[in-house]
Order: sequence, then C-alpha cells, then structure tokens
Amino acid sequence: MSPTEPYITNWIISSALVALGTPLLSGLLATLISPRYAWLISLTAPLMLLFSVIASAMLFYHAPGIGSYDVNVPWFSLGDHTLGVGLYIDKLTVVMVLMVSAISFLVHLYSTGYMAGDPSIRRYFIMLGFFTFAMMGIVLSNSLLIVFIFWELVGFSSYMLIGHWTELPDTGNASRKAYIMNRIGDLGFITGLMIVYQQTGTFQFDFIYNEETLPWETAASLCIFMGIIGKSAQFPLLTWLPDAMAGPTPVSALIHAATMVAAGVFLLARVHFLFTPVALIVVIITGLITTLLGALAAMTHTDLKKILAYSTVSQLGFMIVALGAGATEGAILHLFTHAFFKAGLFLAAGAVIHSLHQAQQGTTHRFDVQDIRNLGGLSRSLPLTFLVFLVCGASLSGLPFFSGFQSKESILTALIAWGGLTLSWKGLAVMVILLTTFLTVCYTFRLIWFVFIVPGNERKEGGLSVMEVPFVMRFPMIVLALCSLWWIVSANPLGFSGWYHKGSSSMPGTVLSLLAVFGALGFSFFHYRNKLAPGRESEISSALAGTFYLDKLYAMVFGRTVTRLSVLLTLFDKKYIDGLVHGTAYIQVTLAHVVAWLDRVMVDGTVNNIARLAGGIGVFTRSFQGGKIQLYIFWAGLGLILLTLFLIT
Amino acid sequence: MIPLEHYLILSSILFSLGIMIVIIKQNAIAVLLGLELMLNAANINLVAFNLAHPHRLDGQLFALFVIIVAACEAAVGLAIILRVYQFFHSPVPDDINILKD
Repeated sequence: MSPTEPYITNWIISSALVALGTPLLSGLLATLISPRYAWLISLTAPLMLLFSVIASAMLFYHAPGIGSYDVNVPWFSLGDHTLGVGLYIDKLTVVMVLMVSAISFLVHLYSTGYMAGDPSIRRYFIMLGFFTFAMMGIVLSNSLLIVFIFWELVGFSSYMLIGHWTELPDTGNASRKAYIMNRIGDLGFITGLMIVYQQTGTFQFDFIYNEETLPWETAASLCIFMGIIGKSAQFPLLTWLPDAMAGPTPVSALIHAATMVAAGVFLLARVHFLFTPVALIVVIITGLITTLLGALAAMTHTDLKKILAYSTVSQLGFMIVALGAGATEGAILHLFTHAFFKAGLFLAAGAVIHSLHQAQQGTTHRFDVQDIRNLGGLSRSLPLTFLVFLVCGASLSGLPFFSGFQSKESILTALIAWGGLTLSWKGLAVMVILLTTFLTVCYTFRLIWFVFIVPGNERKEGGLSVMEVPFVMRFPMIVLALCSLWWIVSANPLGFSGWYHKGSSSMPGTVLSLLAVFGALGFSFFHYRNKLAPGRESEISSALAGTFYLDKLYAMVFGRTVTRLSVLLTLFDKKYIDGLVHGTAYIQVTLAHVVAWLDRVMVDGTVNNIARLAGGIGVFTRSFQGGKIQLYIFWAGLGLILLTLFLIT
Repeated sequence: MIPLEHYLILSSILFSLGIMIVIIKQNAIAVLLGLELMLNAANINLVAFNLAHPHRLDGQLFALFVIIVAACEAAVGLAIILRVYQFFHSPVPDDINILKD
C-alpha cells in the first residue's frame, strides 16, 4: 500500500462498505414493508441502489490513487489458524463495483415497471437486493474463503430468482438445474480452496501470491477453474444458462448476462497468478469450445432470450480465452462493456416481451412472444426499443464507434501478439476467435432482422396494438444504450487505450476484426435479405440448437447412471443396511429380555428373599409373644430347664 | 424307714403336675391351684430334708412359713382373679391379652 492520506483510505473503506451494504439494506427493507404496501418497495429499492451507485462512484474516483489496498479483520481462530475477513480494493475491484452497482440500479429501476403488479414482488426485490449484496461481496473480498461464501450466496439468489414465477412449469426445473450444475463446479472450487490453504496456510490473495510456478498451483488452479466453469457456464456445464432464461427478464439481464456469470471471469482475473502454463492451456481450450458452441447455438435458436443467453455463453468463453492468453485487462474491459450492452439487449428484449404481453391482454390472440418466428416488424411499433436493441446489438457485434468494438479489438490485439497468425494451435485459437466474431455478427443480425425489420404478418403479432413500455423501463434502456457507445472505453472511437486499459492497437488486430465484422454483416445481409422467417428444420440446426445434444448426453450418461446407481443403492439399503438395523434391533430385544429375566429373578428375587427372611424371623419371634401367659411360662420353664441342663453338663 | 429318694420323687411328680396344671389349665383359679401344688411339692422337700437332721427344726419351720405365704398369696391371687374376671368377664388367662398389641 502506497502512503496516502488517512482520510482517503477512510473514504475508500466507508464507500466500499456503503456500496456493499445498501443493496442488503434494500433487501431487508423489503422484508419489513408489509405486503399491503408492496408498491413502496418500488421506491425504496432503486433509491437504496442509487446510494450504492454513488458510493461506488466515490470508490471509483478515489481508489485508483492507491494501487491495491487490503484491509483485514480477524474473523475467528481455530487453534493457531486465524481466518480473516476483509476488503481488497484495486483497479479491478473498483471497475467491477461500479459496473455491478450501476447495472443493478438500472435493473432495479426497470423491474419496478416490469414486475409491477406481481403478487410476490417483495420476494423479488428481497432477492434482487440480496444478490447485489452477494455480488459486491465477491468483488470486494480479500480472501478466497469469503469469495467462496459470497459465490454460494449469488448461486442461491440466482436459484431463487430463476424460480421466481413458481406457477410456471419450467422454472422449478431450470432453477434446480442451475443450482446443481453450479454445485458440480463448486465441488472443484472447494477442493481448490483446500489445496491452497494446505499449501499456503492462508486464503488471502496477497499472501497466496508468489512469483514462481509451483507444482501444486496447477492442481489448485484447475480445481478453482472448475468452479469458474460452473458459474460462468463454460463448456461442460453450459446448459444451465439458457434454461435459466425461465426467470424474469430483468433477472436474466442482471444475473445471467451482466454480473453473476461474469463472476467467474472476475475470479479468473483475480487468481490469474495461480494459473500455471498447463492450466492456462486448459482454460483456453475450454473457452474456445464454449465460445464456438455458444455462437453456433445462438445462430439456430428461435427463442429470443435463449439466443441472447447463448450469446452470453459465447462472449464469456471469449473472455476466458482472453484471460487464458494473458490478456487480463482486455478481458476485464470486455467484461465491462459486455455487461452494459448485454444488459441493454436483455432489457430491450424484456421490453418486447412486456409490451407484447400487455397487447395480448384482453384479446384472444395467444402466441409465444419469445419465439422470434412469431415476431416481426416491431421497429414501427417499438421505435425506441428497436433503437436500443440496434445500438446494443451493434456493440455486441463489434461495430466501430461502439464499445464492443474496442474491447474486442484489445483482446484480438493481445491474442495476435500472443499466438500470432502462425500455423500452430495458437494460430488456430485466434482463427476460432475470429470465426466467433464473425458468427456473433451473424446471429445478432438475424435476431434484429427477424424481430424488428421483417414485416409482420397477420399470423404474427399483427392486429395487436403494441405500445412502448413506460418511462421507468425506457430510462434504463436508454442509459445502457448510451453506455454501449465508444466513450465508455476511450475518447478515441477506434482505439481501446482509455481510462482502464493502456495500450495501443496493432494494425492486424484492427484490420482483422473490421474485416470479420463487415464481412459477416455483408454475408448475413445477403443471406437473410429475402427470408421472412427463420428456418429451423434441418438436422444440423437442431443439433446446434441443442448445443450438440449436450443436455441429452448428460441425461443419458449421468441421469441413467445415477438412476441405476440409486436403484442399486436402494436394494443394498433395503437388504443390508435395513437388515443390519433389524438384526441389531432383534439382538437388542433379546438381550433386553435376558436382562429383564435376570432382573426379575436375581435382583428382585434377592431383595424379595431378604424381605421374606426378615418377615419369617419376625413371625417366628412374634410367636413367642402371643399374649398367652401360660405360653410364657412354658417357654420360661423350658428355657430354665435347658439352661440348667447346659450348666450341669 | 422310707428312704429320702421316695419323698423327692413324690415331690418332683407333684411339682411337675403343678407346673403342667399352670401351663395347661384354662381357668385362672385352677392355675392358682397348680401354683399351690408346686409350693406344697417344695414343702414336702423341705420336710423330707429335715428328716436327715432330726434335732433341728429349720425345715419344718420354713415349711410353715411357706404355707403362710402361700395362704397370703392365694388371697391376693384370688382377689386379682376376681377383679380380672369382673373386668374381662372371662376366667381364661389367654383372653387377658390387651397388652399384646
């Protein structure tokens, strides 16, 4: 820590704590408000989040001056092990804090419109506030253990929010799926934690850090990466994210696009020093598979939200590849820009869904409003939503003058510097990334084309009077669209060297990305020009839509194995465990009978016999004193005679 | 001359009969009679032993004392029996058992 004015550090700590605490306070406040005045939550929750944003902005303003700052408080001691809890604030943290609080605030604001009239709006805002708190916790924590705790808490709030609409049939399964897949990843994470603690004796980032590469670091980093795979929906565990779209759209925007899934990328950047070259290769390959799979699946899906979800998967894979190649700053920059434009896309998609639902109310016109085959020509009835979608989509595609272009350019520049355009696996990786960039443009174009531009027919939404969403929902969308422009990264619309990432773009990077983007734009325009509806008939496209049967594979391999195993275990349980229990019980009962007999005969018998003996003696001695005078005389005489005889002899 | 043993045997038979009456009889007056019998058995012994020393009269005198004491005792005993009979309405010694409990 560099020497700074103490009041600055106090400012930093208190603003970090305010940024962390106000979302939780918002959730707690929502629990206190009675259900009758649930509308009050619509005022308090965004207000609390606004405080959080202000605190984050203060942190953002003050923190860059101090480098990295670690404040640790002992939490508890076990023997001579003391575990601490504390804040770790550096450039990465403040960027994440600002991003999380800003998007969370906008989503809270949007939710007040989107969720208006929902009967369980309290639970929604409680969990939304709680999620923001937990996410802030991940970002601000100074040790892996605390990160893990908050990591689980975001998983829990994600579970709660995906399953928010409990009356819908799919939400329960989707939330369970998300939770279980995250658990599989977290199994690795906690193993990694154990390895780290066993090797270094601490969880704090500052103390884990060392320069040299140690053998255990490969194992530990791969274990932690497993947790990242789960949380960021990377290759083997990616199928929960599209299913998570069963939740409310603002939740998808906040949790499953902008923040929670980015937590994995954040953690990878945070513990990047642990990753050995071998581990990094695994990271890159995972990221490459994910980014390609996600983009291909997004090409063929027809569900509005699932296309965006697969796009998120693809972009997350893109960031993971960048991190694996060492382009940490580029990856975080892309994470930052992606959060804004993807949240904007989701909010715009939510606006489409919301306004169509509103239009459907009171009519007999029923169709799945999320299916892009049912949509079309919405640019006329929803001009603002269209504009937001266009801006954010352009940013996602990486068109110049949008933030996505700059962040992708920085990653591509770093990748080319890392792998070059050579004929090696590194060169292949760069080609895959370029292909993904190409596909990204295609599926974004396809989405906008079929939802907004292709004229709608009567079978579709035609005949409904579709209205723009209220201002409280439009405002966050406009802000996010503005944040998807170039100025958020740097003043130069074609360069990425700005407040976060210092560096210069290289010629091949810029040229290649421009080539890919515009090539894709031209290709998709000519491909989709004459089509009125997205086709989805061929075998290959359904394979792509199902992410190459990944879900079916899981069901077949794991589902069936687990079912069989559980049947076997049930049999074993019934036969042996129950048998053992019953046998033990039988032995116990028999033993108890023996003990009861012993008790009755021996113990009680002894006591009874002693009593009977005493009684008998009593009866015997009493018989001498029967109150009969003559008997006394008899006994006295007999006794006298006996005594005499005894004395004489 | 009758040997001493015969007197002694007679007195012991009398004594035994007396004690038997005392123990067996159900009437308090009969018990008192048994008691007299026992005293007289003792008197026979006293007089018999006096035969061995004819010039002394200790035994005979003592026997006289015993007769006097026996008369007194009989008087007192009869009085007690009378009172007891008045109280318990029964001459049977076994019925006089209120001290038992």
